[in-house]
Amino acid sequence: MSNFSVIFLYFDPGLGAMIVQGLVAAAAGILLFSKNVMYKVKSFFGIAKKEEDTYDSIDIEEDEIHENDSKK
Amino acid sequence: MTPKSKIHQASFRDPSGYMIHDGEVLRRVINPIYFPQYKKLKSSGFFDTLIKKGLLISHEETSVSESEIVITPEKIPFITNPYEWSFEQFKHAALLTLQIQKYALSKGFILKDASAYNVTFHKGKPIFIDTLSFDFYEENTPWRAYKQFITHFFGPLILAKYHGTDIFKMLQTHIDGIPVKLIASLLPKKTKFSSTLFTNIHLLAKMESKHSEDYKAETKKAKLSKKAQNNILESLFGYIKDLKVQEATEWGNYYAKTNYDALAFEGKKQLIREWVIDSKAKTLIDVGGNDGTFARTVIDQLDHVMVTDIDSNAVDDNYYQSQQHKEHNMLPFVCDVLQPAPGIGFNNTERSSLIQRLVEYRPDVTMALALIHHVTLSGNVPFEKSAEFFAQFSDRLIIEFPKRTDSWVTSLLVRKREFINHFDFYNQENFEDGYQQYFQIEKKQPIDGTERVLYLMKRK
Repeated sequence: MSNFSVIFLYFDPGLGAMIVQGLVAAAAGILLFSKNVMYKVKSFFGIAKKEEDTYDSIDIEEDEIHENDSKK
Repeated sequence: MTPKSKIHQASFRDPSGYMIHDGEVLRRVINPIYFPQYKKLKSSGFFDTLIKKGLLISHEETSVSESEIVITPEKIPFITNPYEWSFEQFKHAALLTLQIQKYALSKGFILKDASAYNVTFHKGKPIFIDTLSFDFYEENTPWRAYKQFITHFFGPLILAKYHGTDIFKMLQTHIDGIPVKLIASLLPKKTKFSSTLFTNIHLLAKMESKHSEDYKAETKKAKLSKKAQNNILESLFGYIKDLKVQEATEWGNYYAKTNYDALAFEGKKQLIREWVIDSKAKTLIDVGGNDGTFARTVIDQLDHVMVTDIDSNAVDDNYYQSQQHKEHNMLPFVCDVLQPAPGIGFNNTERSSLIQRLVEYRPDVTMALALIHHVTLSGNVPFEKSAEFFAQFSDRLIIEFPKRTDSWVTSLLVRKREFINHFDFYNQENFEDGYQQYFQIEKKQPIDGTERVLYLMKRK
């Protein structure tokens, strides 16, 4: 695939911004991990609250699409 | 080749393609440089999934040749820009961008830019409108649009949290987002103690100034695993989702504070419904329409309704209601009538002014209820001037005139103190004279139980 790859440098992504992402990701990883642990602890005691939002998940569900694929 | 005059004014930054005006229809031309990406995005079903989910604007392939591929996207009646969004709208646009980037990553693609102008509101939801914003993912590369996401979305949202949604207007003077350094300098010191804000803003600002002289374009040297990038996306998503704005509202419970009773309120609603139905209108804009209460009395009759207000909270309320009721034809946005969004960017034409967009939209009916006293008395705009404003884009105008005896008008007049006599012109006769320079009064009806008169006017 990398043969096709064309990286468009029509704007400067910023070297600092590219380097910093490693640190951002590390902090995010720790945070997500601890949140996950907290959630599990809370669910264990039955005090985890269910959130309501029109955007509840970052993940796009693909269920219907899989069904369509299997029909083909 | 496409004549240069037909190329859309906002379409020149990305070499992958450009938008053209083909008569009334807007089409997207794809250059050969982007053919590999386009073909893969199409054949892998990537476009299909996002379109089916209502996250990406749908399109049809119009023509394919060796020199260009032309696609025709679904028509969007009216484009709102980031500086016209309420807090929740801004939030949802940011979340949509992260959702799409995470999905793209899982399919071997990336969002090559994260401009807030890639998103607008359509059918009651944010939708991604730049079909050519995707590129192939190269293993272990950081997200090149990360900084853009911060300057276009994350930064403005965080600033709004601390300073109110007026901060979004800064995007009018910064078309490529608010500079990271500026964001960092405007945030309270305590934000340095949040790991998310410290890394994504303060540390980023520091690194950016440290590496600002990147003459050799060494950006390719930085590495980041896919898992690590997913962590960034997920943590930003979680953080943004929980963001709330602390802001006192200008109107807030406006209808709880109205100076007339429920019966008069119903009477006004009925009159509006009658007049809109009689006019056979299909499109309507309610200027200063608060949370859309009056526009909703006729929403079932219309193809498309827009409600603007100066108060971002009222727009939020309206947006919330439209999502709850799954209204596909309601578009709320923030607008200060005394200072509508200007044309911005290169040549002042990249993002067109509100007036220009309204002239193109041409609503069948414009409503201005309980607005004229604010425009005239708070904004000191003479009647013929506000009439000229409405006449630019409206064929029919439903406008409410509160008389001097109305308690809101009285209170606005009292605030003029020793200059109160300068506003003696504020009366029904002068109002009619001013408006008749541009409009013809078709109907005129006092609203029972109030000190107000409702007018139906037709442009001359």
